[in-house]
Amino acid sequence: MAERIVLEVPATLDALSTVRMILGGLSAHLDFSLEALDELQLASDSLFEAALNDEELKSFSVEMLLEDGDLSVAAGSFHSPGLRARVGATPGGCIDLCVLLRRLLDDVYLEERDREFRVVMVKRGHGSAP
Amino acid sequence: MSGRDDRRASDPLDLEAPPGQARPLDADEDEGQSPHGGLAADPQGRGRDDSEKLDQYLLRRYHLHGDRKAREQLITMYLPLVRSLARRYASRGEHFDDLVQVGAIGLIKAIDRFDLSRGVELTTYATPNIVGEIKRYFRDKGWSVRVPRGLQELNIRLNKVIDELVPKLQRSPTINELAVAANATPEEVLEALETSQAYNSVSLQASPNGESGEEDAGLIDYLGGEEEAYDTMEDRTTLAPGFAKLDKRERYILHLRFFEGLTQSQIAERVGISQMHVSRLIRRSLEKLREEIGDLDRPATTRPPGSSTTDK
Repeated sequence: MAERIVLEVPATLDALSTVRMILGGLSAHLDFSLEALDELQLASDSLFEAALNDEELKSFSVEMLLEDGDLSVAAGSFHSPGLRARVGATPGGCIDLCVLLRRLLDDVYLEERDREFRVVMVKRGHGSAP
Repeated sequence: MSGRDDRRASDPLDLEAPPGQARPLDADEDEGQSPHGGLAADPQGRGRDDSEKLDQYLLRRYHLHGDRKAREQLITMYLPLVRSLARRYASRGEHFDDLVQVGAIGLIKAIDRFDLSRGVELTTYATPNIVGEIKRYFRDKGWSVRVPRGLQELNIRLNKVIDELVPKLQRSPTINELAVAANATPEEVLEALETSQAYNSVSLQASPNGESGEEDAGLIDYLGGEEEAYDTMEDRTTLAPGFAKLDKRERYILHLRFFEGLTQSQIAERVGISQMHVSRLIRRSLEKLREEIGDLDRPATTRPPGSSTTDK
């Protein structure tokens, strides 16, 4: 059965610590490895820091879904074309946001909602310890 | 005609006709304005275009004519941006006014270093400079001294436990396994790891297990054998923006993780350091990249919205 947790966090760097701790708790629940957790946290930190720079937000929502041993983290809603382009960019020769997310996660995609979008980051259960 | 006159002649803006009379903003005027300094529409009703033109006008006055008043005016105009960015860090135990002062140094550096030929807005250029200066301030203050002793001790214990568990399990341990081995609860483990992540700074001279000590070999020594192999592919990675500011070892580890696709554990094994240490080095290197280039991205092309970006 899927479990869903929704957070509304202020758009400050300090709030990222809260998100990281909850990701940690959920990763422990799913028995993810320490390395899988670390990469998930690094991916979310990178996305949120980029969003804080690009977006004029007072807060944003983080929806976490646990299903079949996988953890999906949907963050948003965002508006900026800059952030949209970054996440959806074709990887180039530098370490940009899209390369980071692709390397650190099992899946990452944009979820459109009217003119807004959310970024969905997925870490699958195979990242957990056997 | 002098070089300065040449530049002035080709200046598309009329230097003697500023696009709107600039007025220093009061300290309170940043409230309700955009995080980027409220330049979209200022209290005088100037639109974004006007503000940008004014920026360009003042930057040209300063850089081409040495007009110090234009510089001061730019600083005053962009203080709301500094305050907005400083506010993000205000709950970390430092006085807000101190952070504004530090951020203002970043702003002044951005104004002084601004390259008129690059065609970027001052906001775009100044933001990472301001944030970088504030982050440096925190880093230089040495946050690690404020980590509670209990968490510090647990963190040291965790480093040892991880070093023991990885070869034993032949994989990265889980939080629950760490908790059992460290005689702590999973919540305590997470808190210790979080504290470590937020406050730890890694020195290349620190020992590979994260502890200091002169008897231990530094990471530099562990990486020595990889240098030659790294030289052959370094040209590729140095093309990446900001990479020049990283030292060779930082570039090497980022290359292995993000271009070669090795996991942290694989890198740890190859380099001869712990996975935790690799994790910290990656974070620190990415942080340096962010400070150098503003953000970790300069997308080449975009995909259609809604499409998956992963090819794993």
